[in-house]
Parts: sequence; structure tokens; C-alpha cells
Amino acid sequence: MESSIIRAQGLSRRYGSTIALDSVDLDIPAGRIVGLIGPNGAGKTTALKAILGLSKFNGKLEVLGLDPSRDRDDLMEDVCFIADVAVLPRWARVWQIIELTEKLHPRFSREQCMKYLARTKIKQHSRVRTLSKGMVVQLHLALVMSIDAKLLILDEPTLGLDILFRKQFYTSLLNEYFDEQRTILITTHQVEEVEHILTDLIFIKDGKLIVNNTMDDIYEQYTEVMVSPDDLEQARSLNPIHERVLFGRHIMLFDNADQKRLGELGEIHKPSVADLFVALMGEQASDQTEQSEAEGKAA
Amino acid sequence: MNQHMFSRLWVLIRREIWESPVAFKWTPLIIAGFILLVTVLLLIIGAKVDNEQVFTIDGIRMYAQMDDAQQRLMAAGVMFSAGSLFHQVMFLVVVFYLAGSLYDDRRDRSILFWKSLPVSDRMTVTSKILTAMVAAPIMYLGGIAFIQLSLVLIASGYGLMADINIFTEVWAPANLPKVWTVTLLGSLVQSLWLLPIYAWLMFCSSWAPRLPILIAVLVPVLIGMFQHFWSFFSNFRLPDFNLLWVILERIGRGVMPASIEWEQIVTESQTAPSFVPREEMLMSFKSIGNAFVSWEMWIGVAIGMLFLAGSIWFRRRATDS
Repeated sequence: MESSIIRAQGLSRRYGSTIALDSVDLDIPAGRIVGLIGPNGAGKTTALKAILGLSKFNGKLEVLGLDPSRDRDDLMEDVCFIADVAVLPRWARVWQIIELTEKLHPRFSREQCMKYLARTKIKQHSRVRTLSKGMVVQLHLALVMSIDAKLLILDEPTLGLDILFRKQFYTSLLNEYFDEQRTILITTHQVEEVEHILTDLIFIKDGKLIVNNTMDDIYEQYTEVMVSPDDLEQARSLNPIHERVLFGRHIMLFDNADQKRLGELGEIHKPSVADLFVALMGEQASDQTEQSEAEGKAA
Repeated sequence: MNQHMFSRLWVLIRREIWESPVAFKWTPLIIAGFILLVTVLLLIIGAKVDNEQVFTIDGIRMYAQMDDAQQRLMAAGVMFSAGSLFHQVMFLVVVFYLAGSLYDDRRDRSILFWKSLPVSDRMTVTSKILTAMVAAPIMYLGGIAFIQLSLVLIASGYGLMADINIFTEVWAPANLPKVWTVTLLGSLVQSLWLLPIYAWLMFCSSWAPRLPILIAVLVPVLIGMFQHFWSFFSNFRLPDFNLLWVILERIGRGVMPASIEWEQIVTESQTAPSFVPREEMLMSFKSIGNAFVSWEMWIGVAIGMLFLAGSIWFRRRATDS
């Protein structure tokens, strides 16, 4: 496909004996908002670093048609990136950062940036070190949204921010930045906040992709049913992939089950990404816990 | 190198000066202020003790009666000494600057921001070494020029009181435009002379997991000591080549203004007991030229280039962790 923004084949990365990325295949077209979700140490940051040309990898990887390990300088004209914690240089003043970005980035618009900053309490003469964490993220977002890039990568961008900032962050991103020409790749733990804006969902665990699909397909594939107490046995016979109890009601998640039959068993709705995550990753996570406990004892 | 690249380099060098204003802006100003303060204090105290103004006004009259060569020597001596302190302090400042140059942003993770800009690692390393080799000497020349101008102005004040022609007796022998040209050229040649040491510091800064300055100092010290003891206990000898001495000698010659004819002064003063230095020996274009074309200079530059290439290699692979 010509319009692939990110294409990976057999993307792998090992750190000693740990496999951070295990032969990952990926194809992200333009105009998507992709959530890359996984537990800690699943390989999210490793994948992002490979895409950004910040670390080595094995296998094939093309970002905007370029090889990130060789052409990082060219790539960065079209890729923007906000990392998990505020990484703006602490010694710098706001106007200095704007000036540097303007002079070093050919696609930066100072006018746009000023417009975004005018809505915040950030002053031109403040040092980054004196800004609150939320303000640093606001500043970084203002910078990034003023760059006419094709791919924006967000690595836990709202970590440690209060809910007002987080809401505002995603609202600005969606309303003022995103369009069909751009692609956004987000990793986050706060899945509830991004699930409504995602077009695609990737679950990653132990370096492997567990789910890699569009949200539409996912909603088609997985169905959540609030099963009436009388139909419990019947529902269980349909092999739900996950079952939980909430206020005495059984909520079951089905993979590729007949919608009609499910409808007869109880109230049907779309599963939330968080519930999907627990259902698909939880089981393996418990295996993992046992294994790591055993390893812990051995050590 | 096109214009676009020059303007980007210029922006990156400005970034370095913004990041370290104390090193590049305040330190030369403070040294200049310190020298000026000491001079003025000495003159005030001197005026109290020396009621007759023997040392100042009479002194400058005596100076006015000297012949041209002597006047130029005295003026050059004052200008030269005023500048020396700047050179030595600048070397120390640059050492610490370079040791942190590729390390600090790895430690505070701002490397992730810098690497998100479309700037190549070669460009980053180049901008930092140019900050040390060109921007720093120019900033410190600002301080030197300020203090030299102040001293000439003070001398002119006394000259007016003493009723001498300050233009022929003070400004002409001091010859500030020549002094500044010599100082600037000399500093740039010294930067090139010190390049292997500068580049070594940067190289350590590019990969050290912590304390790059300590690593940069300890490695040559340990190698030098090892070599010393090895030749002590074994038959293997490189008599006149101990790494540590080579480095120390290079630093010693590197922090001196390049315009001094050091070797000539030493040899002449040993052979002729009545030796008197001349102005040309302190402010010599020839000495700068000789340093520039010496083979030691270019061996150093070649070693420096290797370390710089190594720095770029490590910078390419550096992230926040």
C-alpha cells in the first residue's frame, strides 16, 4: 500500500536475553489515530523508539517511506514526538524554545504556536524549570501542534497530569490538529480517556501484538453481554473469553459469537477498551505472574 | 556547507550560549570586573600612600621619555598580562562545558526533545565543538578588549594630568587594534592546538554513564602512571614520551596566548644575560603562524577529528536511558 505511514515486517529487538519486540508486523495507513496499549515492559517504548530512529532494531521498518535508523534527520521533518515526561530543556525560557524550534524546524508556524499559548497561563519569559508539569505539557503540545507534521507520536503524554489537563489535551488534539493527512500513534495507561478518539487499536504484550485492528472491526468481533441470572449456564456454554461480576450481574465477553443468540441472553453492548484489555491480557498476565514468581524463587 | 547550514549552526551555537550563560557571558565579565576593581583599588590606595603621585603621574612622565621600543614593550606587557588570566580561566570553563556537552541532556532526558528536531547528530556535535573553539574565544575577547580599553583609558587620564601627548605616548604604543587581532587569531590557533583535548572531553561526554569529567581525567592519568611504572619495572622504554606529560605540555602551551615567542625568549635569555624582551616577542603574528603550521598541531587535529567522529557515533545511538 502506498499510503502506509508506518510499515514493519519482523521488527525485533532484544536486550540481552529479554525479547522486547518479537517479530512484529505492522501497517498503519494515513489518517488514523492508533492506540498502542500494553502493560509495563510490553515493548511499547521500544517500538516507538525504533520508529523514531532512537534505537536499533532487526527486521524491516519504514516510516513515511524512510528507514528511521539511517534517515532520522529527514524523518524528523515530518514526525513529531512527545515523550512520557516533560523533556523540554529545563534551563530554557519559553521564548528561547520557540525561537529554536522556529529556526530549526522548517514546518513550524510561530503564529500558530502563539495562538495556542495565548490560551494558557504560560509566559514568554518563564523558564521551563519554573512551569508546572501541566504547563510544560501544554507548551510542548503547542509547539508540536504548530508543526505541520505527518506523524505524531505520543508516549504517555498525559502521565501525571490532572483530569482537566488530560481532557483539554485530547480535545485540542482532536479538534485542532488531527485530519485525514495526519496520523497519531498514542501509548497510554489511561485507556478510558483515549478510546473514544481511537480509530485503531493495538494490544502489545511481551513484544508480540495480541490485537491489531480497527475499532470498528473490534466492536464487530467482540461483544459484551450482561447476562440474566437465569441464562448463566447457557451463556457459559458459548465459551465467553472473559466473565466478571458487577453488582451481582454477570458480564461476559464473547469473541465472534452469534449476535442474535447473545441478544437472547441479555443486554448487549460494546466492550470498553479497558475491559477488552483485562479480558485479553489478564489471563496471560496471570500465567506470567506465576512464571515470574517461580523465577523469583529460583533467583 | 551552504547558507542554510550556517544559519542553523549559528542557531545551535546560540542555544549553547543560552544554556551556559555563566560560562560564556558572566565569567569573562566577572574577570574583567575583578581586574578593573583591583586596578582602581590599587590606584586609590596608592594615591593615599603616595601623596606626591610619584608612581602614577611622575611614572607616566618617565614612561613618556622612554624610546619607542621600550614604550611598546611596556604597553604590550600590560596588555598581554591583562589577557592571560582570561585564557586560563576560559580553558577551565571550556573543559567543564565540553565534559557536560553531550551528557547533561542525556541525564535530564531533554535529549528526546533535541532529537525530535530535524537536526543531525553531526550538526549537534559540530555546533558544540565550535562553541568551545570559536564562540568562547570571541566572548572572552570581549572581556579582554573591555579591560584593555579600560586600562588604556586610565593611563590616558594620568597622561592628561601629567601633560603628555596621550595619542603618541599611550594609544599608539598600546595599539589596541593590533592587540585584538593578535589575541583573536592566537585564541583560534590555540583552540585548534587544544582540539585533541577538547574532542577527548566531548568523546567521554558522549558515552559516559556518569561523571564524564572524572572519566576524562582519570583515563589519561591512569595510562600515564601505568606507563611510568611499566617502564620502571621492565626494559620497555619510551623515554621522552609519556602520555600524561604530552597532554600536560599541550595544555600548558595551549593556555598561553599563542602570540608569545616562548622558545625564543627562553633561549635568548639563557645565552645573553643582558637579554631584554621586545614587544614583538609578546604580540607576534609569526609565533601564531609557526604554531599553526607545526606538525604537532596537525597530529593533534587529526586525533581530535577521530574523537569527534567517535562522539558523533555515540551521539547517534544515545537516548535518555
